[in-house]
Parts: sequence; C-alpha cells; structure tokens
Amino acid sequence: MELEDVPGELLKALEPISRFGGNIQSIMHQRERKTPLGRVPVMLIFEIGDRARLNRVLAALRARGVRVTQLGEREGAVRVTALLIGHIIHTDIRDTIDRLNALRGVRVSDLSLAMGEPGQESAARMTITADDERRVNSAISNLQRIASRKKLLMITSIGAG
Amino acid sequence: MRIVLIGFGNLGRGLSRALVQKAGFLRRDHGLIPRVVAAVDEFGAVVDEKGLNLAGLLKTAEGKGTVALHRGAKRGRLALQVIEGIEADVVYELTPTNIETGEPGLTHIKRAMQAGRHVITSNKGPLVVAFRELDSLAKRCGVEFRYSASVGGAIPAVGLAKKLLAGNKIREIRGVLNGTTNYILTRMSTEGAPFEIVLREAQELGIAEKDPTLDIEGIDTACKITILANSLLGTNAGLKDVKVAGIARVRPEAIRLAQEAGQTIKLVGTAKRGSLEVGPKLVPLGHPLAVGGTLNAVTFELDLAREISITGFGAGPRETSSSLLGDLIDIHRTLGG
Repeated sequence: MELEDVPGELLKALEPISRFGGNIQSIMHQRERKTPLGRVPVMLIFEIGDRARLNRVLAALRARGVRVTQLGEREGAVRVTALLIGHIIHTDIRDTIDRLNALRGVRVSDLSLAMGEPGQESAARMTITADDERRVNSAISNLQRIASRKKLLMITSIGAG
Repeated sequence: MRIVLIGFGNLGRGLSRALVQKAGFLRRDHGLIPRVVAAVDEFGAVVDEKGLNLAGLLKTAEGKGTVALHRGAKRGRLALQVIEGIEADVVYELTPTNIETGEPGLTHIKRAMQAGRHVITSNKGPLVVAFRELDSLAKRCGVEFRYSASVGGAIPAVGLAKKLLAGNKIREIRGVLNGTTNYILTRMSTEGAPFEIVLREAQELGIAEKDPTLDIEGIDTACKITILANSLLGTNAGLKDVKVAGIARVRPEAIRLAQEAGQTIKLVGTAKRGSLEVGPKLVPLGHPLAVGGTLNAVTFELDLAREISITGFGAGPRETSSSLLGDLIDIHRTLGG
C-alpha cells in the first residue's frame, strides 16, 4: 500500500486488520523509497481467518482512503522462527537467505539482526514462511546444514523440525 | 522398615530431616515406621540395628562434616561391608554422581540388589551408565528399584508417567531439567546481562558450581533426558547417544530477539524414540516449559492425554527429599504395607 507521509497514517492502515481479527506478521515501511507523489510504500504481511474477513479489511482500508496497490494471498502458509548466533555478517547472511529462498515454496519473510560488541558474535531472528509443513521442515534442515557449515548456533522452536 | 543410607551429604541429610519431622505422619497415615539402621559416608559408618538417633547424627554431620566422627562410628570406606552385612529392607544410594563410570554408586546398587535389598537412588551416574542392567538385575533379584530423585528433584516425572499416565503411549518428553542454566538464562533475559557476568553471579550465590561445565554444556540435562528415555520410552541409550549443545554461546541480544517474537530461550532436553537431544530452544512465553529462575519443568506428549506438563523445584535437599520419601512410601505400598 501507499501512505501519505504524515503522522498517524500507518496506524490508520493497521487498525482495520486487528479489528477484523487479523494477525500482523511484518511491516516494511520504506520511507527512503517514496513515490513521485511523496507517498511512502508500505508492505504488510498479515494472517486472517477467511476470505470474508479479508474483504472487510480491504473495504475498511478503502473507506479510509488507504491506497492498496498490490495484493497477494497465500493460503495455509506455515511459518517458523529460528535464531542464529555467530559471525552472521561475516558468514554472508545474504547467501544464507538466498539459499533458503531458492527452495521451492519457501521464503525468508522476516529478519532481525542484533549486532554484538566488536569482535563478539551477533544474533539474528529469521522467520521462514513455506507453503506447507513438509517444505518448512526441509527449509529448517537446510538452514541447519548451512548453520553448521558457517559455525553458527541455530536455535529452533520446541517441536520444530 | 529397616533403612541403610549410603551417602550422608546434602541429600542424605535432607532425607533424614524429613524422616525425623514426619515420623508421626508416616506411622499414622501410611503405617510406615522407617528405622535407619546404618548411615555411611566416604569417611566411615555408624550402625545401630535398633535404629539410629537421626537428630543426633544430623548434629554431628552438620558440625563435623562426616558421620565418621559420631559416637560409636567406625572409620574407613565401609559402604559395601554395610550393604552386605547389615540386615535391611531398603538401601538409599545417595553418593555423588560420576557420569563416566557410575562408581561408586553402581557397585553399591548392584551389591544391594544381590543382597536382596530394595534400592532407592538419586544418583544419575549408575542410571546413565547401566540403566538396563540395573533394571533387569532388580527384577532377577526380586527387589524394587526407584530413582525419582535422579531427574527433576522434587518433580515426580517418572512416577507421573509410569503410574498415572500408564494408559498412554508417550510420544515425546521435553524438559527444562537444569536449574543452574535456567537461572542463568532467566537472568540474562530480565537483566540483558551477558552470560559470563550472570554465571559469576550464580557462582557467588551458590547456584552454579565452581566448575559449571556439566551444567552449562548441557551434559547434566543430557544425563536426565537419558534416564527419562530409558525408563519411560524403553530405550537403551547412553550419554553418547544424546546430541548436546550448551548455553555458553547464547547472548542476551538473542534472548531479546526471541522476546520480540513472543518467545524465550530455554535449555531443553528432548527424548523421542530414535532421537535424544539437548540444546537451547525457543519456547513461547506462557508455555509450561517457560519457567523462570531455578525451576524445572517437564512436558509429556501423549497419544490420549495430548500434553501434560509439571513444574517444580529441581534441586535442594528439602525439595528432593519429597521424591526420596515418596519412593520409600511407594515401595512400602507395593509390598502391601
């Protein structure tokens, strides 16, 4: 979506999602990539129970004057979170992400980095979204292999993988 | 019931205190009259077939550090002599753990069984090294064998699964089974302090040992998960079968990232048929395994009941005496008492 660059706009766009029971997974607010009209592109990923509710969210956004420029849907996506600890930047995080994204039906949908003190190890939290359980498990075992090759400690959820 | 105590350190003393305090209760409510006929530590032994005065013995052990300085005590390494020579119903094996050889506990337990004594132990060493052997030796000798206190301190994990959940097939066992590492991870998450600082604090408080290797490298948890797997999943695993990672590399920033996603990091032991594992894991905040401080927790994944979790104190002489005494009452009942 594209939002006016004034205070309160993002909140205005988020409110209908939570009102209709959606669960926001990530927000990418790209202020440095303003459109020629001075609007800020925002990419939102959220989960919502069914199509009827999605339609209500979209109608509410339209009623508020929020411009939805692109809409993608994925049914029944499976998400998993993993932490990585180690020399994450030096072992090329970009390469780690590319390798996962290269798997069919898998993408890295969120990444947060916490840099350590100079010389210390860093930490990253990665969310992987996949079309189904099988693909998410294969992504996790792939990441496991990458992590051990790059000497990263990988922490997964209880019951995952 | 005539009882022999092998080992009179923290746990032996904690149990003795409970026996003194609860003498009336045990007689009234359980028809059980425990009589400690011998107490042994590495320096000597005291024996009285009519029953030792535990209050007096506790005073000596606490003041002088050993039962060998009690009135009438004999000095020397006398455990095997007492186990085989003194008539008793139950032998408590409460000596320190050695995870490589299981000794001296392993020999104590075997000799006690061969002499026809029921055995209760808190000692992880023999259970990790020779669980199957001890289990079948107990059956061959026709004696009872209990080890509730070896896993989770006061938490009745083994008894809960074996008895009350007996109608289920256990699919998976997960546990936060080490109070020291749980304390460290909890402090790292609340204070944002680095591992080394929190470890030092834990050592000053006496929560972590001077050499904390077994705890922080996950080996203590691996021992406990091995015992749970062998006793509840019917495996015949040793420590070498457990894939182990410790917590030394866990950084406060990593815990913060986990918290931002509604999770925390715990050192979790996992046992399934065919895979035993210990390592830091993401646990949702509010999940039964997300216990704080030195607490322990165990979750069973079951075919009928789905999920059952228990939490409690995983260490401490008084807390652990709950398990040690529970085992004694359980044997008393099994024998028709």
